[in-house]
Amino acid sequence: MKNFYKRGMLIIMFLLAMALLVMLAMGQAKAATLSPTIYFYQQEITGKVSEPKGKPLEGVTVFIKNKRVGEVTAADGSYAIQASPGDTLIFSFIGFKSQEVAVGNQSTINVVLNEDIASLNEVLINAGYYTVKRRERTGNISRVTAEEIDKQPVISPLQALQGRMAGVQITSGGTNPGAASTIQIRGVNSLRSEGNYPLYIIDGVPISSIPVESNSLLGNSGLDPLNNLNPANIESIEVLKDADATAIYGSRGANGVVLITTKTGLKSSKGLEMRAYTGISYVPGKMDLLETPRYLELRKAAYENDGIEPNASNAYDLLVWDQQRYTDWQEYAFGKNAEVTNANLAFTGGKDLTSFRVGGSWFSQGTVYPGDYNYRKLTGNLSLNHSSQNKKLNLQVSLNYGLDKNQLTGDLNVGALNFLPPNAPALLNDDDSLNWTEWAEAGIKNPLEGFFNSNDIQTNNFITNAGISYEIAKGLTLKSSLGYTRYDSDEFWKLPARSYNPAGNPINRSVHLNSVRKSWIVEPQLVYNVRFGKLNMDLLLGGTIQENTNSRQSLQGIGYASEALIGNLAAAESILNAQNSTVEYRYAALFSRLGLNWDKKYYLNLTGRRDGSSRFGPNKRFANFGAIGTAWIFSEESFMKDHLNFLSLGKLRASYGSTGNDQIGDYGYLDAYGATRGPGGLFPTGLANPDYSWEINKKLEVGLELAFWNNRVNLGGSWYQNRSSNQLVGYTLPAITGFGSVQANLPATVENRGTEIEFSSINIDNLNFKWQTSLNISFPKNELVRYPGIEESSYANTYRVGEPLNISLNYNYTGIDPESGYYSFQDVNGDSRLDYQDRIIVEDRTSEFFGGLNNSLSYQNFHLQFLWQFVRQNGKLIYYNAGRPVNILSGYNTDDFQQPTQSYQGALAYSNAINSSLFTSDGSFLRLKTLSLSYDLPKQFLQRIGINKFQLFFNGQNLWTITSYKGMDPENSYDGNFIGNLRSLTAGAQVNF
Amino acid sequence: MNIKTLINRTLFLLFLASNYSCEKLVEIDSPTDKLVREVVFNNDQTAISAMDGIYNELFQADFSSGSRSSVTVLAGLSSDNVQYLNSGNINMMQFQEHEIDPSNPGNLQLWTSAYNIIYLCNSLIEGLENSSSIDAELQQQLEGEARFVRAFSYFQLVNLYGDVPLILNTDYRENALKTRVEVDEIYNLIEEDLLISSETLSSSYRNGERTSVNKFGANALLARVYLYQEDWQKAEDYSSQVINETATYEILDNLDDVFLANSREAIWQISPIGGGGIASNTNDGSMFIIDPFFSFFATLKLDASIIPEFNESDIRRQNWVGYNSSKDAFFSHKYKIDASSEFPIKEYSMVLRLAEQYLIRAEARANLGKINDALNDLDVIRKRAGLPALTEITPGIAEEELMEKIFRQRRLELFTEWGHRWFDLKRTDRTTNVFGNNPTWQNTDILYPIPAEEISKNPNLIQNDGY
Repeated sequence: MKNFYKRGMLIIMFLLAMALLVMLAMGQAKAATLSPTIYFYQQEITGKVSEPKGKPLEGVTVFIKNKRVGEVTAADGSYAIQASPGDTLIFSFIGFKSQEVAVGNQSTINVVLNEDIASLNEVLINAGYYTVKRRERTGNISRVTAEEIDKQPVISPLQALQGRMAGVQITSGGTNPGAASTIQIRGVNSLRSEGNYPLYIIDGVPISSIPVESNSLLGNSGLDPLNNLNPANIESIEVLKDADATAIYGSRGANGVVLITTKTGLKSSKGLEMRAYTGISYVPGKMDLLETPRYLELRKAAYENDGIEPNASNAYDLLVWDQQRYTDWQEYAFGKNAEVTNANLAFTGGKDLTSFRVGGSWFSQGTVYPGDYNYRKLTGNLSLNHSSQNKKLNLQVSLNYGLDKNQLTGDLNVGALNFLPPNAPALLNDDDSLNWTEWAEAGIKNPLEGFFNSNDIQTNNFITNAGISYEIAKGLTLKSSLGYTRYDSDEFWKLPARSYNPAGNPINRSVHLNSVRKSWIVEPQLVYNVRFGKLNMDLLLGGTIQENTNSRQSLQGIGYASEALIGNLAAAESILNAQNSTVEYRYAALFSRLGLNWDKKYYLNLTGRRDGSSRFGPNKRFANFGAIGTAWIFSEESFMKDHLNFLSLGKLRASYGSTGNDQIGDYGYLDAYGATRGPGGLFPTGLANPDYSWEINKKLEVGLELAFWNNRVNLGGSWYQNRSSNQLVGYTLPAITGFGSVQANLPATVENRGTEIEFSSINIDNLNFKWQTSLNISFPKNELVRYPGIEESSYANTYRVGEPLNISLNYNYTGIDPESGYYSFQDVNGDSRLDYQDRIIVEDRTSEFFGGLNNSLSYQNFHLQFLWQFVRQNGKLIYYNAGRPVNILSGYNTDDFQQPTQSYQGALAYSNAINSSLFTSDGSFLRLKTLSLSYDLPKQFLQRIGINKFQLFFNGQNLWTITSYKGMDPENSYDGNFIGNLRSLTAGAQVNF
Repeated sequence: MNIKTLINRTLFLLFLASNYSCEKLVEIDSPTDKLVREVVFNNDQTAISAMDGIYNELFQADFSSGSRSSVTVLAGLSSDNVQYLNSGNINMMQFQEHEIDPSNPGNLQLWTSAYNIIYLCNSLIEGLENSSSIDAELQQQLEGEARFVRAFSYFQLVNLYGDVPLILNTDYRENALKTRVEVDEIYNLIEEDLLISSETLSSSYRNGERTSVNKFGANALLARVYLYQEDWQKAEDYSSQVINETATYEILDNLDDVFLANSREAIWQISPIGGGGIASNTNDGSMFIIDPFFSFFATLKLDASIIPEFNESDIRRQNWVGYNSSKDAFFSHKYKIDASSEFPIKEYSMVLRLAEQYLIRAEARANLGKINDALNDLDVIRKRAGLPALTEITPGIAEEELMEKIFRQRRLELFTEWGHRWFDLKRTDRTTNVFGNNPTWQNTDILYPIPAEEISKNPNLIQNDGY
């Protein structure tokens, strides 16, 4: 209890300090408006602009900040311009860092412009609670900036990151707009598929990274919680990977951290920015399936092989349906072009002490599927920064709001449509109603059942963050951030009776789902920076209190008198399955960081966090996490400087530490009863274990960073080994216990290790032409290192010790049995049956390596950037089941595959073959992921008409894929029928005033 | 100093100043949609809801749902009463062909759902035991109902699988590694549970509908249990107790009325309300009825061998058997509604009904040598079906022939209900006679395999012979 008082006092002190800061801020804000400085007269300023070695620079733009006055330097680098003492001159030139010089009393201003290439290592990287120079970082943080994201025609910013970061693998959630992508940072850590989400932090506010539940076609992947962000408003995305970077996030850092920073008025150029693009998206390719004659030929052969006489009930495609008819079902299912349009508007302004940025955007995208559906999104954002005259007090507010409306077809099983027999009858009648009769003749239901259903999902996302900081004494700053987020989704699934076969007496129905995620967070922090001679010390102490409330409501309305009334609950005959739930999650933590460096050569970074989470039983709520990071910049050592002066940076770094994972359902420890689906009943919903606790992830990393020739060539390599133990899983139990699983900590260890290499170079850099290349490549390895007693566990047939988690256990395929004509497999234990004991071949489904190669070229006003994404992995393609009433790939032949058959034995052999290496194929690919080309209209011309920048651009996505994989999209190489990525072609313009 | 200790020391230093916990900050309210078990059993109303929840779940649980993986459908396929229409459906055909793969998903669902219901019963029984604030009479009543459902579930398991694990509490740590126990031991539990139910349950239906279990439900199942165990005297006694309750039960003259909700022939029924959805039809109806116009929904038909068994004058052939010409198939038409969303619900899924009690008593009495009494009981069923009374046409029938007649009536009366035919063939050793000609038949096929997934999770489970 003593501790409780201590803690209470601490909180009260923090709150008082915060209140004081707010009052101070208000006073400062008032003071700031009282003293405008006004200068009246102008004078001519002259000077010369040169590069560091003294060579004069011709063509440098010299202009006055916030005024439309500008000049260009002559061949000798000289210039002359009229300016007031209160003005600021800006010198800018391609390939060099812009420089600002306040005029003051000077009449001659000579400027030396530094080359821009050094900036890569000087850039500040967001590490969450603190920032660090890239050069000085001890941890592993990847960063992608606005230029790489903002023009891509994507809904969620995550989709723009594919191929751009080492160690970060992103898989598209499919072609329905809004589907959540999967992001994996350095592999799968948890045995639970739902325990592998990274932590998302937007402007300092954590938001849930778990996809939002949906009844719609997006149900499998869920809705991406980042959909409502505007990719064009993102300044940078940092991904924290190693212990040094993630341990300060403690129990939530195990799967890595994604930090998203939105644009502020501080860094953006002032003025109005308008941008719009439009274009189309479409499915880039189809599978090569059989046409009618060959299909029917194989079907007939099947009956011959089986010695069975086809009849109208088993061979409707041969005896009932038109033998000449041919429909390209893929064309029907996804042959449309989806239009995509985006418009962006942002205004940035402010004076010395205050700056702001306000913006909005509109985005819309159609679908490639039949029917008239679309996705629309509206976003708005505001960012405000203010500091007091003496710069001691800083105030920062950011607001991000997004609203989207996703209209989807309610039920459309594209996967089933693709493989319909090519001579199958039309799905719709001439009057656009569903064709039941012709399908009924064949004894099957129309595959388009549910076609007129629609699903409207509307989501709102509001993320706000306020930060305030005050420098109490030199080097000592007290600050606090406050965040609030609210996400709600409202889903309405309309199921009119005409979507269903009249035989079932269908009625008009609606299904409603409403979910709300709310959270607030307070994070007071104390930051102290001090120097003792060559020792520099950064200290950070902070605390977090966070509360999340998630609620959902769902119900169904049935028996609407007419289709027009569907959704009007008052008109429903009855309301069914009304459910609601609210769950809470609370989280409290203390965290700290101590950053030390000696003479900018030796770095030590210690981070730690003590976490408490409500997701665990009362005795297991608290745990400590921490990490140590070190770096040695050996290029600063004199012996290196003397002998290897081409080396501009040489750094060795290493880190080790622990993070945790508390991604697990709320209240899992309670032995609880819930409502049954039927009215008036209660039942136990699962088994309870009050004693489960955190999953621990220990990360070790060693890295080497080199830069050569004045930072023109950068090379970084890192090796990591992350071990997740104390696996927190829905531990599968035999059904005799009543349920299939219980939450428990398993004595299992999963290891992810690998090597990541990042390389960048400036190949050519002269006045007119600049060419930069960057490459990232990751070699991940995943292994289940330890699992005592796996043979007796429920994972005996899922995982193997010593193998990766993502595996499939396969039969040993022994060729086609010449007698039966069917596939045959090795019966390992000779018991004349094929079961798991015969599945001796382990198929590794982890990517061997993946990465991206980016090139950006500028020639005068033209800019070209293109990114190649590459993945080396295996795949599987199974659509060779000849003889059944489904279409197959045209690559079918009787040498490699079993004879056409429709017998039970044949089907069995085929289903076993799926679990063998027979259908394994190479799933590797090289893809031209993005290509963007832009042209800036000449500045001299634009400035005359008062425009700062006018750019025309073209953007292409997934333009070209080189692969031997014959499925839809090699990105999903184990589901050949899954379309992950659309090809998009968009063009637009950007104007800055 | 290795890195680990360095980190530990650092952590220690970092948290020296803040070395306290913050329990209060991470305490949360209970979820709104869940009740902690102790709370459920602190209050009469929520305790009743827990029992009603079990009845609701019986409609959802595969084995008792009447749907694809129910005892009714799967054991029906294994018997000579039901066939699957689409021979390409491997998983279903395995039951019909007696070639069940241990990894068959339907078999797993059958098993899993029964043990889930047993868990619900155990949880309720434990909850009531640990509760002190529930009305004593209600406590007895609810416990009796839960014991009945538990016994009923074990009855299905023991007849499908033979020896099965005996789970009597909710302790998953202990239960996860349970071994199979002998059939007799399972029957001991079933008997014990049912005797308690019979004693504690009231004679009336608790909620006024025949979807809750009363004393006669327990007695009816006891009669069947004793019949299966060939304890003829007790079988006769308990079936008599039900048959004598004429104020509640009667054999309905109109065959079309038998399967209606709360029909007077029903002893225990499961209501489709448990599905909580828009459908108000039974799964039995939707599984078995072949729609005259849209036959493609259909998956099951009656085995052709049962049709000639019906005497021409047997009105069950007209009222309970349908024919679909496009599939050229006979189907079970005991339930009349295959799809409906009308409320109130017209038909409930029948579990126990009076006709079976007459057949039980007839068989018990025949075995006890009470041939005349047995004939009288059998005639109740025969007469309702429009068949002549045996007491009139063959009064001096030999016992063996009478047995045959009883079994024939059991087949014709109880087809497509809860796997009766499959269990009858097994318990009377007729399987070889009926299936012996089938090349895939083996004597070990009388038991379903323990699901492979269960064995892999619990290595103490030993597979049945022949799998």
